[in-house]
Amino acid sequence: MPTVEIPVEKWSGKIHEVRLGGQGRKEVVVGGENTLPFLHFEGSIPNPPVLAVEVLDRDPRDWAEPLLQAWGDVLKNPAAWAKKAVEVGANLIALRLKTAHPEEGNTGAEEAKRVVSSVLEAVDVPLIVLGPEVAEKDNEVLVAASEAGRGQRLALGNCEEKNYRTIGATCLADGHVAIGKTPIEINLAKQLNILLSDLGMSQDSLLMDPTTGALGYGLEYTYSVMERLRLAALGGDKMTSMPMICTVGEEAWRQKEAKTSEGVPDTWGPLAERALRWEEMTAISLLQSGANIIVLRHPSTVEKVQSAITRLMG
Amino acid sequence: MSRFIATAAIKGANDIFNEAETLYQKALKEFGPDGKIGFPNTAYYLPVIYGFTGHKVETVADLVPALNFAKSLLPTPPKENIWLPYLGETLDSGVATLFAEEIIEGIRFALGQQPETRNGFTFNGPIDDVQMRSWGIAMVDGRMPGFAAIIGAAKSNEVAVKIVRELQSRGQLVFLAGNVNGRSMVDQLLEEGVELGYDTYTVPFGSDTISTIYAMGYATRAAYSFGNVKPGDARSMLLYNKFRCFAFGLVLGPVTDLDYATGAGAINYGFPIVADTAVPHILPTGVTQYEHVIGMPFDDIPGDNDLEKAERLVQRCIEIRGIKVKIAKVPIPVAYGPAFEGEIVRRDSLRAEFGGKGGICFEFLQLKDMDDVEDGKITVIGPEVDEVDEGARVPMAIMVGVAGRKMQKDFEPVLERQIHHFLNGAEGIQHMGQRDITWIRFSKGAVNKGFRIKHIGDILHANLHNHFGAIVDKVEITIHTEKAKVEELIEGARREYGERNARIAGLSDETVDTYYSCSLCQSFAPNHICVINPERVGLCGAYNWLDCRASFEINPRGPNQPVLKGATIDPVKGEWEGVNQFVFENSNRAVDRMTIYSLMDAPMTTCGCCECVMVILPETNGVMIVSRDDYGMTPSGMTFTTLMGMVGGGLQTPGMMGHGKYYITSNKFLLAEGGIKRIVWLSKNLKEELAEELKEASEKSGAPDLIDKIGDSESAPTIEELMTFLEQKEHPALTMDPLM
Amino acid sequence: MSMTGVQIYKFLPKTNCKKCGFPTCLAFAMKVAQKSIAITDCPDLSEESTLALESAARPPIQIVTVGADEKKIEVGGEVVMFRHEKTFYHPPGLVIRLKDSTPLEENLKQVEAVASYQVERVGMMFTVDGFAIENDSGDAAAFAKLVAAVAEKAPSPLVLMSTKPDAMKTALEKAGPLRPLIYAATTDNWSDMTELAKAHGCPLAVAAGDGLEGLAGLVEQVTGNGVENIVLDPGGRDYLSSLTQLTQIRRLALKENFRPLGFPVIAFPGEGTDSNEEESMLAGQQVAKYAGIIVLNHFSPSTMYPLLTLRLNIYTDPQKPIQMQPGLYPIGNPKEDSPVCVTTNFSLTYFAVAGELEGSAFPSWLMVCDTEGLSVLTAWAAGKFDAERIAKATKEFNIAGSVNHHRVIIPGHLAVLRGELEEELSGWEVLVGPRDAVDLGAFLKKSW
Repeated sequence: MPTVEIPVEKWSGKIHEVRLGGQGRKEVVVGGENTLPFLHFEGSIPNPPVLAVEVLDRDPRDWAEPLLQAWGDVLKNPAAWAKKAVEVGANLIALRLKTAHPEEGNTGAEEAKRVVSSVLEAVDVPLIVLGPEVAEKDNEVLVAASEAGRGQRLALGNCEEKNYRTIGATCLADGHVAIGKTPIEINLAKQLNILLSDLGMSQDSLLMDPTTGALGYGLEYTYSVMERLRLAALGGDKMTSMPMICTVGEEAWRQKEAKTSEGVPDTWGPLAERALRWEEMTAISLLQSGANIIVLRHPSTVEKVQSAITRLMG
Repeated sequence: MSRFIATAAIKGANDIFNEAETLYQKALKEFGPDGKIGFPNTAYYLPVIYGFTGHKVETVADLVPALNFAKSLLPTPPKENIWLPYLGETLDSGVATLFAEEIIEGIRFALGQQPETRNGFTFNGPIDDVQMRSWGIAMVDGRMPGFAAIIGAAKSNEVAVKIVRELQSRGQLVFLAGNVNGRSMVDQLLEEGVELGYDTYTVPFGSDTISTIYAMGYATRAAYSFGNVKPGDARSMLLYNKFRCFAFGLVLGPVTDLDYATGAGAINYGFPIVADTAVPHILPTGVTQYEHVIGMPFDDIPGDNDLEKAERLVQRCIEIRGIKVKIAKVPIPVAYGPAFEGEIVRRDSLRAEFGGKGGICFEFLQLKDMDDVEDGKITVIGPEVDEVDEGARVPMAIMVGVAGRKMQKDFEPVLERQIHHFLNGAEGIQHMGQRDITWIRFSKGAVNKGFRIKHIGDILHANLHNHFGAIVDKVEITIHTEKAKVEELIEGARREYGERNARIAGLSDETVDTYYSCSLCQSFAPNHICVINPERVGLCGAYNWLDCRASFEINPRGPNQPVLKGATIDPVKGEWEGVNQFVFENSNRAVDRMTIYSLMDAPMTTCGCCECVMVILPETNGVMIVSRDDYGMTPSGMTFTTLMGMVGGGLQTPGMMGHGKYYITSNKFLLAEGGIKRIVWLSKNLKEELAEELKEASEKSGAPDLIDKIGDSESAPTIEELMTFLEQKEHPALTMDPLM
Repeated sequence: MSMTGVQIYKFLPKTNCKKCGFPTCLAFAMKVAQKSIAITDCPDLSEESTLALESAARPPIQIVTVGADEKKIEVGGEVVMFRHEKTFYHPPGLVIRLKDSTPLEENLKQVEAVASYQVERVGMMFTVDGFAIENDSGDAAAFAKLVAAVAEKAPSPLVLMSTKPDAMKTALEKAGPLRPLIYAATTDNWSDMTELAKAHGCPLAVAAGDGLEGLAGLVEQVTGNGVENIVLDPGGRDYLSSLTQLTQIRRLALKENFRPLGFPVIAFPGEGTDSNEEESMLAGQQVAKYAGIIVLNHFSPSTMYPLLTLRLNIYTDPQKPIQMQPGLYPIGNPKEDSPVCVTTNFSLTYFAVAGELEGSAFPSWLMVCDTEGLSVLTAWAAGKFDAERIAKATKEFNIAGSVNHHRVIIPGHLAVLRGELEEELSGWEVLVGPRDAVDLGAFLKKSW
């Protein structure tokens, strides 16, 4: 019989361990692995990937039917929504401050503080707070969120090149974690991490979000950028060694496949099933490319992806 | 280092220390050792003491170690006749002073004397933590550079208001303390009805110099909150402030020993001191970024009146602290933005034009001394656009003077080339060409909306600051529209253009120790990294070595990074240890060695943007070069697009290489394979475009008639025809050493 | 391992005879180096050269073909661990499992559903690749009957699943010409199965339950017996063991050039999971991580469509992005007075722009120009997205016939083209849109 020697890569790098929550709140730790996803035979993976559920600060009336049905009445109340999300297995809550968008109500710091506080009160898992993705408004409401969650070690996002300073500064002041987001480019991701580090942020308080598209809509770019970032990190590059967060739910549920039931080919299958598969398939593939935090929308996806993670962790 | 200042500061420190000690005895007597000491609304105790030593002062007894520490720092005043550098002692006495001042203010709080009330006005006292945090965020994200701590009183109320307004317009926080003969800047501002307080970013600390300590407490706390600095780590705290908090002290009126001593304390934080009186200067030694102490006697400042002098005084403060100007909106009466870059001003909508056929127009950007440039000054000499006939062709000279601590002569052309891009952003303005072939058109619409020649200045001033702030500190623009003057100035500019060309031509790879990389294209060619050296332009043709160097200065974290050459492995192939190492690390470890002058051995990789592809034609013992603009078939049997598909993507393909067109005429062209004489076929458009340079290069190579021996799509479209052609012409490549 | 064009050139006759269809030997050599044509296309290659080149060109993972004629599954031949390093060449075959213990009618219904399934994406049509037929009944006749029925109803690539050589033999008599994959040779039956594979010229799956060493050993016996077209079944069924084994096999083949495991792998996601949905998720993992053939227990459009989409995504050549068909696309229900936006046919750009337009309050026309799959700035820099091309497309797609206005919106990054484009398209007004798609909604609100 031939001898088989399994080739084991000798990685010199390791993903930074980032802690969220703590101090009375449940603590969630991500990162820390020194090998590629789930390759337990060559390295250690101390912390499994975790799942966050996305909660909006307003009734998501524009969401697809399967989501509205699954969550029901809690959608009217972010705190109740978050509570139910924890019941269905969310390790984290990702609160999106949608109403701060100039076209969605243009609410400001006060409203942000109120919502963040109410969600913090309702659940004991760590909180990710995401702005409306308009740089100025992000600055306004994330600074407010930061104050409201002082000492709770939130993750605040997204930092982009144009507004990373403000969010970084407020994270520094209140001890939070910053999420950097860059489009499909490893050098840009790295540069943003360097800039945030230059600001004084320590490496264990940064996450990066490389998400650019769902299944069928550019997933291959996200997938490969993540693999490249992870390989660079394991190769010893500290500035790409941040754990990765992927907004899978948002991307998947935005697509026609997850929204439309009429006027589409029969070969797509019924919306109620197809939409869920779209989210699941996006999630499972990004788990393989190195996601540490996956933000989801549907409770059934949380259950299914969690089960996959449990099995992959052996 | 000035002995005068050292003496004054050390004396001031000793005096204030004694005062603190006396006050301590009083407090001990009045409150006992357990009496509470501290500032309100802060979690940082006495913040300066806490920051330097990690020692928490909460009671009277806690003051003792702080006093002892201050005492240990106190030097004796310099002797009359011994000259020493003194800097260390002065800085130490500064820290002792800050300790003493903070102890005094702490006890004053206990005594109910702080915040101070004077003439019915209650001062602010120390800044509370909440406010510090909110300003701190603005400071970290760049909206607020830092603060100005003003001690004393201005020459007049009018000057006081002007100084505050100037500082505010630059986003600086203003802290007020001290007095001159009982009169303070706070009095002056109150008399003029200026609102003071957190909301107006103008904070009155107290009426004496001692209260300046609150500024240092603010800076110290900012370092804990935003710099991850641990209390007691004095070095990190000070460095944080030096590099992150753009603060300075401004002493108005006579400088007392205590002012010197307090100033010495501030210098430890990297905060320079400017006085409006004659004081000895302390020039750069590294504790602050530039000068440490300068004096600008107010009446000697150039300017027509006190307000202008006040403006210059503030400008000088801004300069020595290295604060950068940002201009949010280009102040012109027409829309401005990238959307207008492609606009064409046609004849029927033309109001006036500058340059073009038969006209004369040039732009010239020049590095000047700091003192020779007045930032923001825009002068138009000659007729304005509304004073000329419709459709007129007007002469123009755009003279841009730039000064900056990090500006270099070599960056002049880099900045000058951006004028094209900057001016095209204005609606109704079209810019073509560069240097002395500049051609600018103003549309009727733009002029009707109020656009004038002077707005060219506004556009350049704002953009040069915004885009090149890292190297540009001051920009002044003068625009001439009188024919005689323009003709006179153009001569000088042309001489300088010529010198610039010569300087670039004179740059060789041997004369520099650093090349630059470009990773812009890694988004689609992840394993490709460009190395750009003086004698080989970037393969896309867009970046030369100087551009990359400037780009690195402007954006040190950007795509152009220095590549140290390191030891030479092979000077003919152009291989260096440092380059290899850099390429290996930055190509995702895909390319382990790369030569700069060879086609056959480890040639440079290509992203996909190259202007030309060079490929070996083994039959001819030479190489052919096809340009991106040549869509036709080549003797290799492949078109540019096909070749590009093979060479692109960061793969090393010996025998094929992408490059910029000006590499062909470089002295280092294909050094390893015998240089320009290897070229047997060249795209026709390249032959025409580079005719002059090629001629010169062939002469240098010893084959002056080489061009005629190089085939092209007309004389030799296929390999068979090319072979015949080459043999007929006796091309030198046929008899050179075998390529393969 | 692989040779450069110049290295290959050295072995060629250097006559530029053009018999291969290329004008020069060098051009031919370059194409061979890219693996887009075979070295054997050169008619004058010396025997020596052929040998030297073929062994250099031999892929570390054998390419195995299942099926005959047009419909076939070609797997293996991969050269990288990660798609960004080059590309993944051969997408895994997706086949649906049928059991001969299920009533024939039911099976045929399934065959009908699967065979007629096709779904379109970015202008391409995708189908299910074939069937795996399992001798679940243990009865050779039942097996042969089902195989014959499927082969007749839907002649497509098949995986014949039986460990009994006699059952396999009768099945192969029915379906041999379809070149099915014989599943599987085991330590008990390998000798007979090898003979069957040879007799019918079929690829052979090799299954060994005792780890990679056992598998490699069995493969060596099979290859020693003259079968080269092999598919591996290392035995792992659940998420983790599948990932581990498939990764290890791929690494051994590529990094160590370990011949006994240099073959594509077959996976059975349904055996490691409990439901259709979970099966499709595990299959998703296997698409991304190194499976060659995936046998699915379930078939439903709502799981097949995402799986086919994922396969398309993962197996897209990173150097050749997915391209949209150039043309005029209605987004929402645009009317005559709706805006016309211009973009490239780089799929990601298209998706971004179309997505934002869909989310905006403005149904729009999206004119997709042929930029050869490049994004806006890259295409512009390469001269493939200039005023001339946009003008040409405007005419070609007869934009004027779809709208009652003469206004087009070009990407903000192309602002420099505005003047030139207005000249090319006389009578049209050119608006400069935002640089980023995400700002389109706000732009239309303000400027349309």
